[in-house]
Amino acid sequence: MYRLFLKIATRYLLKNKLYSFINIFGLAIGVASFVLIMIYVNYERSYDTFKGSENVYRPYMDYLEGDTFVPGDAMTYNLSGPTLKEQFPEVLDYVRLYYFEKLTFKVGSSILEQPLGSLADPSYFDIFNYPLLKGNKGTVLADPYSIVLSQSFAKRLFGNENPLQKTISAFWNGQEAVLTVTGVMADIPKNAHFRNSFLISYETQKTWIDFGPRMHELNWNMNNYYTYIKVAQNTNIDILRQKIITSDIEENKDERHNIEALEEIHLYSNKPYEVSANGSITRIKFLSAIAFIILMLSWLNYVNLSTTKSMERAKEAGIRKVAGAKKSQLIVQSLIESVLLNFIAIALALTIVLILLPIFNNLTDKDFSLDLNSLIRFLPFFAFILIGMVLAGLYPALLLSSYSPAKALKGKMRTSTQGSNIRKGLIVTQFLATIILLVGTIVITKQIDFLESQPIGADVNQIIALHGEVVTSKADSLIINDFKVLKEELKTLPFIENAAIAQTYPGDSFDNLSSTRGIVLPDGRREDEKVFYSYHAQPDYFDLMGLEFLAGGTFLPSTDWEGNQVIVNETFLKTMGISSAEEILNKTVSFWGNNDWRVSGVIKDYYHFGLKNPILPTIIRYQRQVSNLLVKLNDSATSTAGFGSAIGDIKTKWKKVFPQSTFNYTFLDQKFEAQYQQDKAFGTAFQVFTLLAIIIACMGLFGLTSYTVVQRKKEIGIRKVNGATIIEVLTLLNKDFIKWVTFAFIIAVPISWYIMNQWLTGFAYKTTLSWWVFALAGVSALLIALLTVSWQSFQAAIANPVESLRDE
Amino acid sequence: MLLQLNNIFKWVQSGGQRVFLLKDINLEVEEGEFISIMGPSGSGKSTLLNVLGMLDAFDEGTYNFLDEPVHTLKEKHRSNLYKQYIGFVFQAYHLIDELTVYENLEMPLLYKKLKGSERKAMVADMLDRFNMVGKKDLFPTQLSGGQQQLVGVARALISKPKLILADEPTGNLNSKQGEEIMELFAQLNKEGVTIIQVTHSEQNASYGSRIINLLDGRRIGG
Repeated sequence: MYRLFLKIATRYLLKNKLYSFINIFGLAIGVASFVLIMIYVNYERSYDTFKGSENVYRPYMDYLEGDTFVPGDAMTYNLSGPTLKEQFPEVLDYVRLYYFEKLTFKVGSSILEQPLGSLADPSYFDIFNYPLLKGNKGTVLADPYSIVLSQSFAKRLFGNENPLQKTISAFWNGQEAVLTVTGVMADIPKNAHFRNSFLISYETQKTWIDFGPRMHELNWNMNNYYTYIKVAQNTNIDILRQKIITSDIEENKDERHNIEALEEIHLYSNKPYEVSANGSITRIKFLSAIAFIILMLSWLNYVNLSTTKSMERAKEAGIRKVAGAKKSQLIVQSLIESVLLNFIAIALALTIVLILLPIFNNLTDKDFSLDLNSLIRFLPFFAFILIGMVLAGLYPALLLSSYSPAKALKGKMRTSTQGSNIRKGLIVTQFLATIILLVGTIVITKQIDFLESQPIGADVNQIIALHGEVVTSKADSLIINDFKVLKEELKTLPFIENAAIAQTYPGDSFDNLSSTRGIVLPDGRREDEKVFYSYHAQPDYFDLMGLEFLAGGTFLPSTDWEGNQVIVNETFLKTMGISSAEEILNKTVSFWGNNDWRVSGVIKDYYHFGLKNPILPTIIRYQRQVSNLLVKLNDSATSTAGFGSAIGDIKTKWKKVFPQSTFNYTFLDQKFEAQYQQDKAFGTAFQVFTLLAIIIACMGLFGLTSYTVVQRKKEIGIRKVNGATIIEVLTLLNKDFIKWVTFAFIIAVPISWYIMNQWLTGFAYKTTLSWWVFALAGVSALLIALLTVSWQSFQAAIANPVESLRDE
Repeated sequence: MLLQLNNIFKWVQSGGQRVFLLKDINLEVEEGEFISIMGPSGSGKSTLLNVLGMLDAFDEGTYNFLDEPVHTLKEKHRSNLYKQYIGFVFQAYHLIDELTVYENLEMPLLYKKLKGSERKAMVADMLDRFNMVGKKDLFPTQLSGGQQQLVGVARALISKPKLILADEPTGNLNSKQGEEIMELFAQLNKEGVTIIQVTHSEQNASYGSRIINLLDGRRIGG
């Protein structure tokens, strides 16, 4: 009998091609979107998981702001780890990492730059349970001047040779260290917040790095380390946290230690001085919501269409009943059909997913795959999909089996009011979701536009930051001089407008600024609570960046106080409670143990940290040090030979001055925009999935209209015979849809307003939720609905009534 | 003269052959006539009625309605013409199930863009005349077949047509109900409305003044 059912079901699907297509395709889009999004969500949630990762926590610093502590710094002191271990028995072990964004290495005569690595305590492999391929876990990082390479970095350096016991040189600010390779570790997966391609033993810093001895000495002054602790199994973490918060291990009243789970860093942390850009739990929640909405929409479609369709099949059900079919048999038959249809849809969905996965990987720069592991993690979702499908199939099945045969046979099966109410509800829900998604898309696009069009307060266009590691044994002062020479050399190039030297630039990361608290202001006030940020630059930096002065001017070289000059920004004045620029200009402030900093200027605020972050109180110091050589190109650089050749010329000059060096460059405007690249990607994803949701909703509407029109064919015929014009018939048919969309719109406005308001709180500078955003979404939804239904309505309206009124 | 058909042909193409639905039909109808179209199934009765009602086109010949050449008129003009002068009555009543008796009667008036007060008066008039005031809020399914057809006739009459076209108006009714409808038609005819009905029944045809016999799309006999 089941084979017969299957046969009938297949025939039925083949016969009703439009219906089958809409249903299968709609479900497939829904399931495929759901699976793709969930792969991404799962991936984001899988950060920093390895065997034992649940017991790893990261201490961080809370800073006192007013009366409350707020997360202030992801980095801690070199004493933090040892002290926590000593004072709390739950803390079994700790590891400190001093992070290098990149480091220059020399092997034989080749010089190369390798990103991402750390100085690390020997306990590293006890805490981060990542595989060590070569070397002894206990001793690889024990001795000074040891280095562990990642597999791919080892391959880059040594090819297929065994790297163990080989020596390489590393350069940090020109300081060379000769390191011995003691181990090779597996590459850290991309879903880790901390990616090390090399680890250098912690002890090395003592004799290698500039501030080495000072840094190495245990202290509560320099929080430059990421610390991770391992706690005992079954530790009550809330109690431990409470103990740490209240313990006051370092006696500074303005800050305290806190801890967070390693596994939660990627999605929840997002503090200043994070090791890498974090993900965002808000985005993940949004995406999950979209995934569920799309899946729901496709199920609603299915229920809607099959319910409508079941009325058409009432006669068939009636005949079966008369022929002796039991109610349960009718239900089973209907379910078999829905299972068959869903099965085809799932197969299609998985095919779509497999086809799209490589593109998706490319787009998100991740490595998703459908291996056994991720499939197991996916089981709950598959169960969810299956249950949903059965439920979606059950309603029409119950409906169909409930018709009384006598009525059904007469062919007098009309929509019951209850049934049509349910369908109206489904349609309203679909449009509700569509309008909310549309509002979301518009707001996200608007916010990104807003960010991009916001004046930064500095001119980042056509400016290139040149940086590279100079490998030389020259004294620092000589290198500084070389840079000066290079700067003047570059200025002679026809396409270079200007050049300047600075430690950092707008749009660069937090890493290149120091955060400090404790300053004595000109009026003698001591401000210990408020954090300010500082970096150094040379006089021509301000002109080059187009930074405007409110008072005073740039640094003056060759004065008595040359190295003690600082320039502050507007926000600094506001934060420190200084009412006018004159109050501080040419006066002195003291911090860092120097009480003779002379304020030579106040600049207008500019967005140093991008537009996602507020403007922070900033001090720029005059210092003859080199990190970035900033170069401003003029228009001829783009118009003549293009950027490529301009960069080539610059590189030639660079190599002439620094034969032993690496050369790198960054376009400032690109770097500035990169700050909201994730938001942009999110925006794109939102747009794509909104479009899919709309397509699904439209397909449902299209299917539904085709049945409404069939059902109302007779009515339309009667009305036409009685003088209704085409326009009048169209109005009649479309009126309901307009009503439903309007109703959905009314519900959607407050919901979407609330949601998008929440989303916008993640930005320091946000666009407004103007009324037209909602109007646009509503009108678009309405237009889409009307376009979808109108074609068929029009066909119905122009049909000859004679056809529909021919007596049975 | 109300209408005139000259050499009307209507055919469909079937397998490369013309199958004639109407063949060389000539017909003149004066105002006030009561005509019955008779013939076996498939002889073209309903087709002829549809052509007369301008619901269906024909392939050859000329059709004048109140001296207007229907065959040359544009669709819009044509529908204005029948909206104004013709009422239809169907075998299966073709009432809208979702509308009440009152609303069914009001519907044609809506399409004529009459004012609310005017519509109300006309519907009330019609309800009164057909003794259906008490049933005005009922839905078609709550009425007997005879009553439904009564509503159907009332609806056809409400816009005061010159001509009523009825396609087997008693086909779904029992004999008593059928008689009532025919009496009604006779009465209307006396009041000056022209009626053309399609029927199988000799008895119904006897209410009329003239019979047109069709066979295979062709007029036979008188």
